[in-house]
Amino acid sequence: MLMPPFELHLPNTVEEACAIAADLLNSGDEFDWIAGGTDLIPNYKWHINTKPHVISLTKIAGIDTISMTEIGCMARLSNIAESDSVHPLVAEAASKVASSLIRRNATLGGNLCLDTRCFWFNQTEEWRSSIDWCHKCDCGTGSDCRVIPNQNTLCVATYQGDIAPNLMVLNATVHLIGPKGARSVLLHDFYQLDGMTRNILEPGEFMLKITLPEDIADWTGSYRKLRVRESWDFPEAGAAAAWKKGDRGTLRVATTALESIPRRHDEEVASANGDVKAICDAIYKSTKPVNNTSLPPRYRRNMIKVLVKRACEESK
Amino acid sequence: MTDGYVQQPGSSKDVRVDGKRVAGKMSFNPPGSGGSRPEMAERDLDFIPEVEGGREAQPAGHHLHDKYRTGTTVGKRTPLVDGNAKVTGQAWYGDDVRLANEIIGRIVRSPHHYAKVKSIDTSKAEALPGVLAVSTGADAPQRFGVLPVTKDEHAMAVEKVRHVGDLVACVAAIDEATAREAAALIEVEYEVLDAVHDPKKGLLDVDDPIHWRGQYHIGSTNVQKRVFQEFGDRSKLEQARATHHGKWKFMGVNHGFTEPHAVVAHWDPNGRLQLYTPQQVPHYAHRALATVLDVPMHQVNVIRTFVGGGFGGKSDPFPHEMCAAILARKAGRPVRITFDREEVFWVNRGRHPSHIEVQLFADDDARISGFEIDALIDGGGFASFGHVTSYYNGVLATAPYELGSFHYTGARVWTNKPASGAMRGHGAVNTRCAIEVGMDDLAEKLQVDPIDLRLANLLPPHSKTITGFRITSNGMRQALERVREGSDWDSKFRQLPLGKGIGIGCGFFISGSGLPIHWDPNKFPHATVHIQIDMDGGVTVHTGAADIGQGSTTAVAQVVAEVLALPLEMIHVRSHESDTSPVDLGSYSSRVTFMNANAAITAALDVREQLLDAASEILDVPAKLLILNDRRIYNKKDPAVGTSYLQALHKSQEDKGALIASGAYRTPPMGGVHKGAAAGLAPAYSFSAYVAEVEVDVDTGLIKCTDVWAAHDCGKALNPLAVEGQIIGSCHMGLGQVLSEQMVYGRTGHLQNPNLLDYKIPSVHEMPNVTPIIIESCDPEGPFGAKEAGEGPLLPILPAVVNAVYDAIGIRVNDLPLTPDKVWAAISKKMKREDIADAQDLPVPRIDFSELQAKIAKRSTEHNDRDGRRQRSEDTDPYINGVLFGFDPSIPPEDQDGDWKISVRPDSGQLESLGLAGSAWTKIEQRKMEDGK
Repeated sequence: MLMPPFELHLPNTVEEACAIAADLLNSGDEFDWIAGGTDLIPNYKWHINTKPHVISLTKIAGIDTISMTEIGCMARLSNIAESDSVHPLVAEAASKVASSLIRRNATLGGNLCLDTRCFWFNQTEEWRSSIDWCHKCDCGTGSDCRVIPNQNTLCVATYQGDIAPNLMVLNATVHLIGPKGARSVLLHDFYQLDGMTRNILEPGEFMLKITLPEDIADWTGSYRKLRVRESWDFPEAGAAAAWKKGDRGTLRVATTALESIPRRHDEEVASANGDVKAICDAIYKSTKPVNNTSLPPRYRRNMIKVLVKRACEESK
Repeated sequence: MTDGYVQQPGSSKDVRVDGKRVAGKMSFNPPGSGGSRPEMAERDLDFIPEVEGGREAQPAGHHLHDKYRTGTTVGKRTPLVDGNAKVTGQAWYGDDVRLANEIIGRIVRSPHHYAKVKSIDTSKAEALPGVLAVSTGADAPQRFGVLPVTKDEHAMAVEKVRHVGDLVACVAAIDEATAREAAALIEVEYEVLDAVHDPKKGLLDVDDPIHWRGQYHIGSTNVQKRVFQEFGDRSKLEQARATHHGKWKFMGVNHGFTEPHAVVAHWDPNGRLQLYTPQQVPHYAHRALATVLDVPMHQVNVIRTFVGGGFGGKSDPFPHEMCAAILARKAGRPVRITFDREEVFWVNRGRHPSHIEVQLFADDDARISGFEIDALIDGGGFASFGHVTSYYNGVLATAPYELGSFHYTGARVWTNKPASGAMRGHGAVNTRCAIEVGMDDLAEKLQVDPIDLRLANLLPPHSKTITGFRITSNGMRQALERVREGSDWDSKFRQLPLGKGIGIGCGFFISGSGLPIHWDPNKFPHATVHIQIDMDGGVTVHTGAADIGQGSTTAVAQVVAEVLALPLEMIHVRSHESDTSPVDLGSYSSRVTFMNANAAITAALDVREQLLDAASEILDVPAKLLILNDRRIYNKKDPAVGTSYLQALHKSQEDKGALIASGAYRTPPMGGVHKGAAAGLAPAYSFSAYVAEVEVDVDTGLIKCTDVWAAHDCGKALNPLAVEGQIIGSCHMGLGQVLSEQMVYGRTGHLQNPNLLDYKIPSVHEMPNVTPIIIESCDPEGPFGAKEAGEGPLLPILPAVVNAVYDAIGIRVNDLPLTPDKVWAAISKKMKREDIADAQDLPVPRIDFSELQAKIAKRSTEHNDRDGRRQRSEDTDPYINGVLFGFDPSIPPEDQDGDWKISVRPDSGQLESLGLAGSAWTKIEQRKMEDGK
């Protein structure tokens, strides 16, 4: 398996990175960001949406902070998982990502900006050519979506990151930076449908860090991940819940791996008046997974009831 | 110097005190003893059988080879001799081969499931700078295939492509990027045909069958092979006290070996092909290469690289091996082709996706009055080993139980998928799972313990199965007893709380196929070993046995070391090249240790005799009084009278040079005469019994297998470390099939998960705690009593887990793998049917024993005595399947019972009542149609 050639840029500062991005934008050259590479490189090896330029963040110093209220985009998941200073829920989520080897390379920023996945899409070039490509990587053919055929507007590839729902229930803010400057938004406003749009990042922008509220140490929670194997596997469904210690009224719930974006379920929680079963049912009603991961959508949808219930149960 | 004998010739007595040489004696550098220890070790009596004066207990009786045991290595935990090369990264696998000037080959594959190739335009690819050769099917019209009866493959598509990923053309270029670019420039015009994906549809007549077999074609269907076998008296089935009916679906699984296929082909300056490939069966690749390339076999040297796992997936001659050779011939440079993982899935040869229906019957005495099996197996695009698989799905269910009748219908169909083939436990695994779950259900219905039910229905050692297989050693009973005890079965079975369960499963497998795949020249041995010892004392063993990680090189080194009483480090096995290795039929059907080690023992005995004769001459002691022990040969009666191994060796080399010996093994004649009687015949059979304990999350359907007690009868563990490794590895592989591994073909017929993220091989977290238990039944014909341990241990884990899941939640899911969604769906269905609101309230199965329990316990006690006597050869009366039902073993059962049938074709009256696969028999062969005209 051979990646197509690309030019690798290795800026040493955030400013330099933004400048390179700006230059490439001006010259009309397409590019990708690379952090740990555990998501991008497999896709490149499969020749999926490859670009002629890749800007790496690995040489930039000081963007791998790990603390209770701030985590840099280049923080490695293994360091987050093993850290005593991060919120336990974040450490738990990081420890459940992929395998120990991958966690040593993978980063927080990469996990939050994970490309969406679909078994019609995450395949070799030869394989994809045999289905005449798909909407998300159509190679200029204007191909249809293979999950839901006869519609050519929406990509339903699934977001399968583990950490996002956990940071959502902890009310994390993401800090973005790019040629046009910096901005910050709540993580649950960061993601944007559909499976190709994925999030609100503008061309040339990248995620610099996340911050958590000052009182975050007072919060507790739990993350439940559905997967066939306890290593390697992406979540087939995932539910995170958090609440302020001793105050169940503050309960927040978020899910992942059910749709093209992770989602926080404030409305469903509010409508249930604290009844966990009602929350489960409401979330069950509002999520509609599609058939593009290992396990069938009907099962994943039903399991979200179990996962949310278990995540909401007072633990530890 | 401490105690013991100095090993080296030219020792101190040949040197004067002043250091000068003794008159008349030439000084020469001592060649060394070859061993790292200067002195002889004491005989290790713990590893010499009792009968030979040692301390090794022999509860299963004595063995022909006992007198050649020297206590050197047999029975000792021995790290594999190629282990150092592997852990230091020096083992050279397929893709490690680097030849000067090599170029890279790339294969162009079909994007269609089924299509006619109308034209191929290679001109643009050929014009691309850096491209050195392009080839298409027209360059290699010769057919090949692993079985001579079903040669249906080409190097590249000649007329049609038969699955997505089928080979169409290939290119070789200076580097991979250029080769990929060139491959994309090859323009192929296809005419797409109607593809068959569902094996059930493969039974139907179609316009354009995937292959055409001329007069032997069955109707115009895609049926590649059909089997009918009926043995015994089925008339008693109607009076059965308990019956089981199971309809199973098994998804296809892939071997999932670590090393993807890789091949390097090089035509040397003399025009001979040197082909480097990680093959399990280099000899058949050798034959196929000669055919396809149209060169004599002696102009091809197949060099087996280290093999990074095979499991049956590297045992066919492969089209990419042909492609590399064709490209190398065209380009005049060595060509390397290394597969991506997707290509491994496209070449596949994994376990057949199967629809299997079984019916089991037990009579009033809890005897098994019949097995009825119908197996439809999905062969994919090519025959591969399928002819054999079609038989194995039935006939390997005829033991370990004594049966009143056996009825099997099987069919293998071609579909437009990557070809299925042989995989660890070839053909036996799926049916075994269905049968063993059926036994569990029969026990439930008879209200008896399933282990006792098995114990009361076992064929004894030295008996014949209903279809005529000759069982020799048989450790089934001990295996069952040991796992029952080890797992604390009696205090757990049907007593564990909801969500926890325990289950039993047994296995039975061939130890070497009795019939070689290529039986010409007639009476050609299955395995041959050459031994050569030159003056340095090192022993070079030439064998063609392919070490695929299972340890065959270690096994052959061990038996030679044992017979010659030499340290293992003095044995050097050369097994990589067909130029220097005698023909060995390859690493399949669990034949290698049994056959190759037997051949090695024969060769080593020849060398031993030559050494003893020389020592006898030196010592003037009759050879029969001499003992070999650790590089020394001495008088049994006076150990001080002895000579070193080297002195004896040099004596025996006088006037002739290196000692050379050859040994060979061929199976004895055996088996019945009916059509298909040879399928499943083996010189010995392995037996195994596993108990598995599981936890089932009733809310999610997730299953976790926590503990396995795994007893396997390997005859004699030549190397217990390797046997345990095989048992644990088999558990892992079988667990994959029962819990998570599956080749998923989606809505459009495409393989949806051709990668190791989505094809879910269990990780270390999913591995249970496995307690391997080695049973030694001392096979009379096995090398030092050994039988196979590589495949049989896989079989029992599947049914043990399925039965344990039933014990945990009271539900049997007959659709493997037991992914959580299927288990959850079955739980939900039951809750709905029985109006249960919370899964935690599911009923758990419990058991009240019936009066039969005491009856079968008594019978198994009696049989225990019988089996012990037969195992130790204290009772050598003939025993055939049927004695339990009152038959006289000295008269064929068909002469004692008018209803006893031996039939390999259905009667016309039976056609209507045959199962799914059996319906293939309603079609008429082309030649029979012509007869009718």
